[in-house]
Amino acid sequence: MNSFDSSSAFERCAGPFGRRGFMQIGLTGFASLGLPGLMRLQAENAKKPKNERTAVIMVWLPGGLSHVDSYDPKPEIGSEYRGPFKTIGTKVPGTRITELMPLQAKIADKFNIVRSMNQTAGGHPAGSMQMFSGDSDTRDKPKPRLPDWMSVANYLRSKGEARTNPLPNYVGVNPTPANYSGPAYLGNAYSPFSVTDDPSRPNFKVPNIGLSDPAETRRLSERLALRKSLDKMERAFDQENELGALDEFEQQAMTLLTNSQTRDAFDLGKEDKVTRDRYGRNQWGQQLLLARRLVESGVDIVTSTLSGPLCGRVRNWDDHAVNQHQFDALRFRMPNYDQAVSALIEDVYARGLDQRVLVVVTGEFGRTPKIKYGRSTGAGDASAAAGTLQPGRDHWPRAFSNIWAGGGMQTGGVIGASDKRGEDVVERPCGPGDFLSTIYHHLGIDSAKITIDDFNGRPTPIVSSGKPIPELIA
Amino acid sequence: MISKFRPFDVIAAAAILVWCIPSDSFASEEKRPLSFVHDIVPILTKADCNTGACHAKAVTGQRGFVLSLLGFETQEDYEHIVKEGKGRRVFAPAPDQSLLVLKAANIVPHGGGVRLEPGSKNYNKLVQWIKEGMVYENESDGKLTSLEVKPQRMSMEVNTEQPLKVIAHFSDGSSEDVTEMALFEPNDKSMAETDDEGLVKVLDVPGNVAVMVRYAGKVSVSNISIPLGAPVESLPPSKNFIDELVFSNLKAIGVPPSPVCDDATFLRRVSLDIGGRLPTKEESAEFLASKDPLKRELAIETLLSSPDYADYFANKWTALLKNQRESKADIVANFAFHSWVRDGMLANKPYDEMVRQILGATGTIVANPAVAWYKRVKEPNQQLEDVAQLFLGVRMQCAQCHHHPFEKWSQHDYYSFAAFFSQVGRKPTPIAGEDLIFHKRGVAKLENKKTLAPVTPAALGQEALEIPPDDDPRLRLADWMSEKDNPFFAKALVNRYWKHFFKRGLVEPEDDIRDTNPATNPELLDALAMHFVENGFDLKEIITVITSSNTYQLSAFPNEHNAVDRQNFSHYYPKRMQAEVLLDAVDMLTGAKTDFANLPSGTRAISLPDNSYNSSPFLKVFGRPEGASVCECERVQSSSLAQSLHLMNSSDVKGKLTKAGGQADVLSKPEAKDEVGIRDIYLTAFSREPTAEEMTIAKGHLVKPRTDTNDKPVNPQLAKRQGYEDLIWAIMNTKEFLYNH
Repeated sequence: MNSFDSSSAFERCAGPFGRRGFMQIGLTGFASLGLPGLMRLQAENAKKPKNERTAVIMVWLPGGLSHVDSYDPKPEIGSEYRGPFKTIGTKVPGTRITELMPLQAKIADKFNIVRSMNQTAGGHPAGSMQMFSGDSDTRDKPKPRLPDWMSVANYLRSKGEARTNPLPNYVGVNPTPANYSGPAYLGNAYSPFSVTDDPSRPNFKVPNIGLSDPAETRRLSERLALRKSLDKMERAFDQENELGALDEFEQQAMTLLTNSQTRDAFDLGKEDKVTRDRYGRNQWGQQLLLARRLVESGVDIVTSTLSGPLCGRVRNWDDHAVNQHQFDALRFRMPNYDQAVSALIEDVYARGLDQRVLVVVTGEFGRTPKIKYGRSTGAGDASAAAGTLQPGRDHWPRAFSNIWAGGGMQTGGVIGASDKRGEDVVERPCGPGDFLSTIYHHLGIDSAKITIDDFNGRPTPIVSSGKPIPELIA
Repeated sequence: MISKFRPFDVIAAAAILVWCIPSDSFASEEKRPLSFVHDIVPILTKADCNTGACHAKAVTGQRGFVLSLLGFETQEDYEHIVKEGKGRRVFAPAPDQSLLVLKAANIVPHGGGVRLEPGSKNYNKLVQWIKEGMVYENESDGKLTSLEVKPQRMSMEVNTEQPLKVIAHFSDGSSEDVTEMALFEPNDKSMAETDDEGLVKVLDVPGNVAVMVRYAGKVSVSNISIPLGAPVESLPPSKNFIDELVFSNLKAIGVPPSPVCDDATFLRRVSLDIGGRLPTKEESAEFLASKDPLKRELAIETLLSSPDYADYFANKWTALLKNQRESKADIVANFAFHSWVRDGMLANKPYDEMVRQILGATGTIVANPAVAWYKRVKEPNQQLEDVAQLFLGVRMQCAQCHHHPFEKWSQHDYYSFAAFFSQVGRKPTPIAGEDLIFHKRGVAKLENKKTLAPVTPAALGQEALEIPPDDDPRLRLADWMSEKDNPFFAKALVNRYWKHFFKRGLVEPEDDIRDTNPATNPELLDALAMHFVENGFDLKEIITVITSSNTYQLSAFPNEHNAVDRQNFSHYYPKRMQAEVLLDAVDMLTGAKTDFANLPSGTRAISLPDNSYNSSPFLKVFGRPEGASVCECERVQSSSLAQSLHLMNSSDVKGKLTKAGGQADVLSKPEAKDEVGIRDIYLTAFSREPTAEEMTIAKGHLVKPRTDTNDKPVNPQLAKRQGYEDLIWAIMNTKEFLYNH
């Protein structure tokens, strides 16, 4: 990137309010960053080595985090809306979040909060698809129609410069929900390499990565040698490119299976005890530690879904009153969440990955600002006995929050705002197109220009609307 | 598209702008003022301003400036340029200060970079047009009637170049050389490249390639034949018209074909292609031993009358007809529809009859399973798009929103075709999601979403029909499709089937047949279509003709000349077994059958009725389609890391290798003989005997002493069993096994 390019990128990507609006935000959110600061940042950015491979970690909160109980608290509002949680100050003067996240409060200068995310689908499938792929359809579908950004990025990167790293380029450390995300017309080759086991378990193992038993490795090598001595068809195929690809994949698979470096990338035992403890010795903490370890080892795209028993009875963030007690669930869940996410962000900066790696934490929507009482359908973690009246919040796509760190961006800001109840965006609306364009921008993908042919051969834009959110790009 | 400008260029460009625009000097060269329609739109198109990724991006354009896709809506584009943008876009008193010009030259920063170099001919024209007051159209201008490309047909040596010339013909009899403003695109970029000036560069692949030329909404094609010129001394005998047409083409372009393949290769190939399965070792042994001169013909006949054929082709068609499991309740409908298609294949229902029964389906799924298609494909738009692509090989999707860029189809054609489905009535039944389908009495018509005027049904390229209210328009569509001289229907099917057997369609992609994407052997496509029509749309018959040709039976091994050939069928192009077939083959080789939930054990993967079984990681990884698209391309046949890992190390495959009662277990029993075991494996995997060398290598591996993880020797029977596991693993991972060749 030379300086001319980056300034034109700035011009192209200015937010909906234009430059003046951006400066206003600068006054509220980016206290430390006026326009000259931005220019300096761009100049620094221009010096970044051209071919450094950027990476993204997306932490996915399936079901949606209650924005008003976390990053966008509304302490002044009446009790039919307000939850029990107090707000606390953060490292950034003027920015307050709820007491559920004391560890993030301490490092609030290392991430940005977007309080004006919104999309238009109220169901989990359609809402998730809006965020993953930008599909604006508000109806729930059994399978995505468009490829998600992860598969697209994986596909585009695989078309670019050849990778020498034997690790898969896209790993799901507890991957995003299979029915809401996926490669659609790109084909399964661009799906994630999936780690589904809980990495905090002592016997955690990743299938197909670094065979631990040397005898097994030896046997595999012998098998491969036998295969080569018996394969008579090479000559018939040597003109066909696809056969070359097959050999290459076989080689890559062999490396994955036998190379100690690839095994190390997945081996949390190589992390020191302090670091493992810092993330939290539980599923989420170790998932995010593994995510960091993978990007450090050269994986470009990592997703990690925070789900399972750490969420509460229904194993996700879908805190309807019938499912679980909204506030008990947050009390139950947030300490582990706060610990893992704050550790990841801190670690990314501590290891100097913050220019290269973008971290984004989001769900498909927020939760209804107005508290709704309903009867529990069953007892469990964070849920009272069946029939007990308990508070919940329903789906809320009209306004919600997510956080962004690393990616070479200026941090410590708050972007956009919702109204006094947290129901609608009143400042600086950011939609799924903006969300996706921002991620693509970090990966060096010009989302406004790139189309990929669908099954009918129709060139389909990878994002149909939106622009990179200017405050979130380097 | 990445802009390549550097700051220096802009400075230089600005200097040129100041000093070098001879704005008065060339005005006299033009007799009439430049017009938007005639002169400017082609410039915008050539400069890529109105592509879908740029200013023709749906609804939003770029930064508020919207153009129609590829300039098909000139009136709208004119309004946007001349009247919108607060008049900044064009400014006649200082034409070169117009935003349109400044942006196009990237003098004012432009997301798209430099599209028109200042001082270039097209730049000057744009400036002049603004200066002249932005004429939309001159009354004296003739209308563009046709586009001619010269040469229209030619033969070019490999690695040579040839400029094309494009002539526009107008209604007033005038013509103009528009080469500089035309766009060029080869239909196979591995064979030819073009540049902006229309220079064609032919690479080193022999065959036929077409260069599509576009200008102002018209298209034309230059057909280029690229001979290899190698001596063709002997040809296999011609067994039917396919061989005559393929071999005469090979002779003409000088590409000598490979010889006819041996019996083992033929049996394996044809069993995989017709029956979707490997021959059993018994079948192979019997076929190899047979002295019957007609044994190949007999094998084809046997396969076509077997249930395997019906399973395999029902599998193919049900995916294309979207037999998709969206909820558990779909199970009855999906099983019924799959059985209906399979029964049709088994009974060899004529193809036109099958299509008519689907298009014209009425009633409930229980009573008439063909109705299930209407359960999946609900809207007239979707119905017309699927029917056009699947049965006619025409992709109409583009024409829903704009004129098809490479075709004659307009939005009028699109909605007229959709109108055939305007009278499809639906009534809910007690089964949720399953409507009763009926013909709704009334005159078929539909609104053209562009003009908002109603249109009546018209088949592609046909006059509009006035269909009486009591007639079901869908049946009129089916009538037209099965007419003997229908230009699409039979061609689409024979091309699709050709691809099934030869890996590559005569037209590629197989469902994108258009004048601008001609067949590599047009005479053969015509002859196949004619043959299919004359034989009453008999599917088994067309398969017989194809598979009994020597063209189909050529060896996959290239000779010294024909390895470069990828479209003339001078040798057989190996294709990887598709997911279901490969899984069945792996099951057979390992002797460990995959079980599918709630289906009788022994059910093979090619008999699965719908996509719900893609939860099998094997099927998913190897690309079994979800039935989401009418395009065969949904089935991904390319290799991937996940596939290699799956075959090499998945618990699924490892389990098959080590299964008690599986192949390795059985063959390593003390009483079993190594030679017999190895022979069995070879006959199963490759339908042939092992060579002496292979036998030696395999035997050597079986008797190798083995140690366990603690380096202690393992007992001989376990060692033998592990030896077989290795051998089967190795065979399974060979290209000879994974591919049909």
